[in-house]
Amino acid sequence: MFSKRVLTVSFEIILLIFVFLLIIWPMMSLFIWSVAETWYWPSTLPQKIGFDYWKQAVGMQKSLAIGAVSIVPAFFLSLMIAVIVVVISMLIAIPAGYALAKYRIPFGAFILFLFLMPNAFPQQPIFVNLLRIFTKFGLAGTIQGVILVHILVGLVFGVWITNATFKSIPPYMEEAARSVGASKLRAFFKITLPLAAPGLLASAVFVFITSLDEFTGTFFVGLPFVNTLPMTLYSSSGYNMQFASVIAIILLIPSILFMALIQRVLKAEYVGGMG
Amino acid sequence: MIAKNSVRRGFILPPYLLLLFPAVSFMLLMYAYPFIASFTRSLIDAQGNISFANYAKTWDLYLKDIVFTFGVTVFSTAVTGATAILLAVYLRFRQSPISRILSGLYKLPIFIPFVVVAQMMNSFLAPHGLLNIALAKLGLIDIDQPLQLFNFSGLSFGFIWKMVPFSVLIIHGGFQMIDDSYIEAARSSGARLFKVITRILIPMSKSSIMVALVLVYSQIVGTFTLPYMLIGGKSPTTITVDIAHRVNYFRDFGVANSLGVFSYFLVFFTAIYYLRSSVQKMAEVKPVEE
Repeated sequence: MFSKRVLTVSFEIILLIFVFLLIIWPMMSLFIWSVAETWYWPSTLPQKIGFDYWKQAVGMQKSLAIGAVSIVPAFFLSLMIAVIVVVISMLIAIPAGYALAKYRIPFGAFILFLFLMPNAFPQQPIFVNLLRIFTKFGLAGTIQGVILVHILVGLVFGVWITNATFKSIPPYMEEAARSVGASKLRAFFKITLPLAAPGLLASAVFVFITSLDEFTGTFFVGLPFVNTLPMTLYSSSGYNMQFASVIAIILLIPSILFMALIQRVLKAEYVGGMG
Repeated sequence: MIAKNSVRRGFILPPYLLLLFPAVSFMLLMYAYPFIASFTRSLIDAQGNISFANYAKTWDLYLKDIVFTFGVTVFSTAVTGATAILLAVYLRFRQSPISRILSGLYKLPIFIPFVVVAQMMNSFLAPHGLLNIALAKLGLIDIDQPLQLFNFSGLSFGFIWKMVPFSVLIIHGGFQMIDDSYIEAARSSGARLFKVITRILIPMSKSSIMVALVLVYSQIVGTFTLPYMLIGGKSPTTITVDIAHRVNYFRDFGVANSLGVFSYFLVFFTAIYYLRSSVQKMAEVKPVEE
């Protein structure tokens, strides 16, 4: 029996090392590149390490290197777009999620379908056609156009998560409030909304991160005028590996942080829609 | 109750119409309309006539890429599914300090957006990237002939890297729903681990496994970032990259849309499965009326 235990534990240790390397190693590549000031092939590690590219990225230092621009404007643009997208998406998603959870709706299956389709089919052809339509209305290459696309991407998840949240709240809570004379609206705002708050917050955070990381829709509808962080990452990745790595890490940190915070609240299926 | 019902009959509009109106009209305009337009526009040729010219052109120019996309997707989904099931089995049966570390560690890639994964793989898998340097140090490859990975294998590696954790999350969730008593009963009647996996775990969580595979498959078909940053315009490449080229360089919405329709066809069966099972699941949990 003893040898079997040794075998199991050593198998586990090998598995741990293997998984650790497989996951961390590619991420290490980003971190090393972001601090590599000089790195000539075939040296294993950079010859000169420093934070010059980080300083350039946050605007503390100017550089003449190609692609080394300050990312501060892109950062604030991304942040602004994400905040607007969260506010509008949640204003639309909360009523819809509530209605789908609490009412029996004719054509309900059709509405469910409409919100499920973006998960089932590739979204890129949608963006292509939105570019064509937006060009007609002068929305192509504008921040408004990019906001609309981000809402589209975020709204679906917003509706599903708020819907699941409202479904989990037992209806007798609201009924109890109403039986002691509260109006329907008052019962909603005093009882249901506070109970739903954690789920709604998780949904908002999810929409925020989705907008911050959105690439494909912005690529089609926003370029070349709307340069969000992911767009800056893309445009520098071709010729400035260090700079692209810095931006990638800047995008990576909020995603991991926020998602780790809200992942317990979310169903696994939603999490898969990331990025 | 009677009084309340008669008051509600007085309403002309049921309240849910108002609540649903903004979201549904947004989705109709911004999703349903462009979705239908991708079919109708694919049938309008460069001269503005209705024809199959775009499809003929797509077939001539991009058949190789359509096959490539399908190949990468099937391969990545299969490897992802097999790896995820094995990891989920391990996490289901083993409670130890190491399994607890692993169950935290494996989730990391789920939260990393595709654009970051793309940049990561772009530097990691490069001819002079970290992977090749390490393999050369270990003596596995000649340093002057590094592995070229900006192709089928590198792309699959990137997809599998991003998708395995997500699949483990769903499949492990399914495994957790199976009561220990089933497994103990099988074990006590002499079933070996392999039999417990193939006869109990997998059949009983078939729906979680299918949902994981279907979502992984359809996501890979539709992903643009990773192939665009890894392979770009080199041949063969994926449908998504071709669509971007068609739009950016030629403003050719006809061929771009017919490529889009091909990508819809690639996910046809998985989409139907996903939509049907999701709507069924929704129907099981009946919405509570007041």
